[in-house]
Amino acid sequence: MPDIAFVKPALPRNGTLVLPLPEADSPWAGLFAEADAATGGALARALEAAGFKGRKGQATTLWAPGGGFTKIVAIGLGKPVDLTALAAEAAGGAMIPTLAQDREATVAADTLAPALVASLAMGALLRAWRFDRYRTKEKEEDKPKLERLAFATAEPTAAKQAFAPLRAIADGVFLTRELVSEPANILHPAEFAERCRGLEKLGVEVEVLGPKEMKRLGFGALLGVAQGSAQEPRMVVLQWKGAPKPRKGEAARKPLAFIGKGVTFDTGGISIKPAGGMEDMKWDMAGAGTVAGLMAALAGRRAKVDAIGLLGLVENMPSATAQRPGDVVKTYSGQTVEVINTDAEGRLVLADLLWYCQERFEPRCMIDLATLTGAIIVALGHEHAGLFANDEDLAQRILAAGQMVGEAAWRMPLGDAYDKALRSEIADMKNVGGRPGGAVTAAQFIQRFVNIKNGPMPWAHLDIAGTAWTSKDHPTIPKGATAWGVRLLDRLVADWDEA
Amino acid sequence: MLKPRFKRPPADPALPQVWPVPGEVPEVWRGVAEAAGFRARPAEVLRLGPDRLLVGLGVPEEAGAAAVAALGSGPGAVPHVVVMAEGLAPAVVAGFIAGMALRAWRFDAHRTQGVAPGLERVTLLVADPAACRAAWAMAEPAVRGCLFARDLVAEPANHLTTRNFARRLEGLAEFGIHVDVLGRKRLARAGYGALLAVGGGAAHPPRLAVLRWRGSFDAPPVVFVGKGLVFDTGGISIKPAKGMEAMRADMAGAAACAGALLALALRGSPAPAAAVLAIAENATGADSYRPGDVLRTGSGRTVEVVDTDAEGRLVLADALHHAVRVLRPRAVVDAATLTGAIVTALGHHRAGLFGRDAALLAAVAAAGEAVGERVWPMPIGAAHRADLASDIADIRQCVPAGTGRLQPDASHAAAFLAEFVPEAVPWAHLDIAGVDTQARPHALGPAGATGFGARLLDRLVATQFEEPPEPPAGRA
Repeated sequence: MPDIAFVKPALPRNGTLVLPLPEADSPWAGLFAEADAATGGALARALEAAGFKGRKGQATTLWAPGGGFTKIVAIGLGKPVDLTALAAEAAGGAMIPTLAQDREATVAADTLAPALVASLAMGALLRAWRFDRYRTKEKEEDKPKLERLAFATAEPTAAKQAFAPLRAIADGVFLTRELVSEPANILHPAEFAERCRGLEKLGVEVEVLGPKEMKRLGFGALLGVAQGSAQEPRMVVLQWKGAPKPRKGEAARKPLAFIGKGVTFDTGGISIKPAGGMEDMKWDMAGAGTVAGLMAALAGRRAKVDAIGLLGLVENMPSATAQRPGDVVKTYSGQTVEVINTDAEGRLVLADLLWYCQERFEPRCMIDLATLTGAIIVALGHEHAGLFANDEDLAQRILAAGQMVGEAAWRMPLGDAYDKALRSEIADMKNVGGRPGGAVTAAQFIQRFVNIKNGPMPWAHLDIAGTAWTSKDHPTIPKGATAWGVRLLDRLVADWDEA
Repeated sequence: MLKPRFKRPPADPALPQVWPVPGEVPEVWRGVAEAAGFRARPAEVLRLGPDRLLVGLGVPEEAGAAAVAALGSGPGAVPHVVVMAEGLAPAVVAGFIAGMALRAWRFDAHRTQGVAPGLERVTLLVADPAACRAAWAMAEPAVRGCLFARDLVAEPANHLTTRNFARRLEGLAEFGIHVDVLGRKRLARAGYGALLAVGGGAAHPPRLAVLRWRGSFDAPPVVFVGKGLVFDTGGISIKPAKGMEAMRADMAGAAACAGALLALALRGSPAPAAAVLAIAENATGADSYRPGDVLRTGSGRTVEVVDTDAEGRLVLADALHHAVRVLRPRAVVDAATLTGAIVTALGHHRAGLFGRDAALLAAVAAAGEAVGERVWPMPIGAAHRADLASDIADIRQCVPAGTGRLQPDASHAAAFLAEFVPEAVPWAHLDIAGVDTQARPHALGPAGATGFGARLLDRLVATQFEEPPEPPAGRA
């Protein structure tokens, strides 16, 4: 990944120049004008000939344009009134594919405000991430070479300051993407937990519970899922204590809790999945991966909040010791569950974690993330994650934060009519409610583990099965793990506790 | 339909009595109610002896329905009951009867033996019979519209052929509805290639029925567009045999639209309204359309057929085009049993609501909530439209199945339909595939056809379209 630098506006004498240009009536000024002069007007003429008008999504590469440059890349920023942080990020991301073979490049961002320059850099950084740990024979010419991206700006110090928290968030995103990308033979629960220990150097408190501790607690649902695998389960408890001391007479704000499903591989268990596409199930831990990345982001930017991250890490395998359809397990809450389908395992893991979270931390709210159902993909596709919530305010906060960072969620229903589908003949509930409304009945199941006996407990469930992974490149997300949710939840925290 | 009579007390002592209980249980029964655990919760029922029923009030419609459900049907069912409704407001009384009538609906047209009589008459003891009669006159049309829709939905496909469906719609003329049925020739002249292709494989020809209600002011109509597949085999992309019998209900959208128009006519709604119903049978035949075919729709847009079982959106494309081009509507709402995906998304408790006019969507959702036909907003995203890019035609009808990837087909279908409605026309789409029939008795009806949509659309018109639209600004 390239180093990002912010420098005073000066035209480089050679090499590659990137020009982010708005769609405007007046002629482009600043470094563009200087570069145009250096090329003897060839730059403006070439862009004219290429039909480049600075429209959103436009990108034109000019080779040997004169003035000593190897290459000039023009990137459209769209209309200045529409140039939000998100639009700037997208433009920043769009630069990256055009710069794959350059070692360094200068971005002439001299006409943009420092915050937008930082967003431009953020977009470039997010797009430049790559997971190539397991490529051993990649040809030299296929490897991206970009080492340094310098943003020429009128206010380098201000841009740098604006970029610092974004950099921390990007690092959180990268941690999530890496965890999600790792194959399941490498990233089993113990390894996942070990990698979480790495967050200690950011100041996150890390606790890891193994099967013995969880058995003592009575995590019957989580352990039932784990019992078929040779890999031991783990629960990871992450705590970031960044909230300022409450002022005299003020009560401390309760922590925000984030809970992630971390099934490091999901075969479906005895209710085994069809073989086609099963390799995708290495990312069935994306919920937990997102929580880990979120905690890294919060700690990395020293967020002024107390946050709890809970990760339920298991592998779901068919074996001689695997749990069977029809088994009844006792959850940590005391409620019993008839396991109808061993492939509906994520909700079993979350059941124990949610209850534990409330018992131990009494959080202000709980937000869980899980690649939970195929039904949510049939419902919404890949543009939105499914949002289920028992609290209007929390739901609106999540939807709003998602809008701001380009991680969209779509509200889905809850209700007694759906909950009825979970009735069991032998236990307090079944773990599946059938195909109709499959994502809704899954959410209803989880809701049964939100303890409202001692008053309301705002809770939201994000079904990210459709958004955790992408088969297409996006402006700021290369194909593969998206880390959907890290930025949304970071933003939620920022707007809620740091505004 | 259940016949109500309104009178002042006393009651005929020979008839069984239904006592709606609005809040507290009356003194006389408090002891026994307590013993039985009856607390008059909404729609809660307590049977006292052979001929007395207490029912908690809550939503009056649901209470009325619960009373009928408790009275039962079959041998021993009572044909006539008295409702002790003296203390209830006329609107509540009307709601209670509406619920009774909806729940008492049965479809016995094809039973020849052992047809047990059900509840047929109800006498309401009320303080002000005239006021209650007037309230019922306002509520009855929507019930009749709903039951009209249910009768159509329940009718099997060998009885409700495309022609018979059109004939039944022509019968609405007696209520002042103007009915025009376009047959093959006129469809061909209009260039409705999608509807003609879908109906091409069947022995019964496709039809486009256009129903118009004048209303009482001069304005563009609100138009309902309905999918009316009298039977859907899937065509060449034939469905699995299991459960295919349910496909006789694949015309539920058209039935709901027709039922809504009937309701408007019966209550003399001032709103100009119309319904455009695409009627066809999707059969496997020598002249069936094929996957891979390219069709030219009435709008001129070409469509690549990927799956002949995604036929609803094709017939709706022509029907929506007709609605928009010929009727110049104030707003368009379509209803269709369109996708299995909406069942996966929302189950059998809510219909999917799609569209791009926030005000209209909110009004549809509110109307649904008010009549107990619940909907939930669903997205039409840019990626959904992008997924429909075709390499041979203007658009493809759906994304190929069987690629091992799950597809948001309800959103794909909505994105497809959106192409046939200009941006300027307020439009909403109801995917009712999960709610057109119910496997078990539900709050407002027995198992089977629900008539979902008829009451919702009637309510939508009542709340949104019975005032003439504001003239556009800037024009004198």
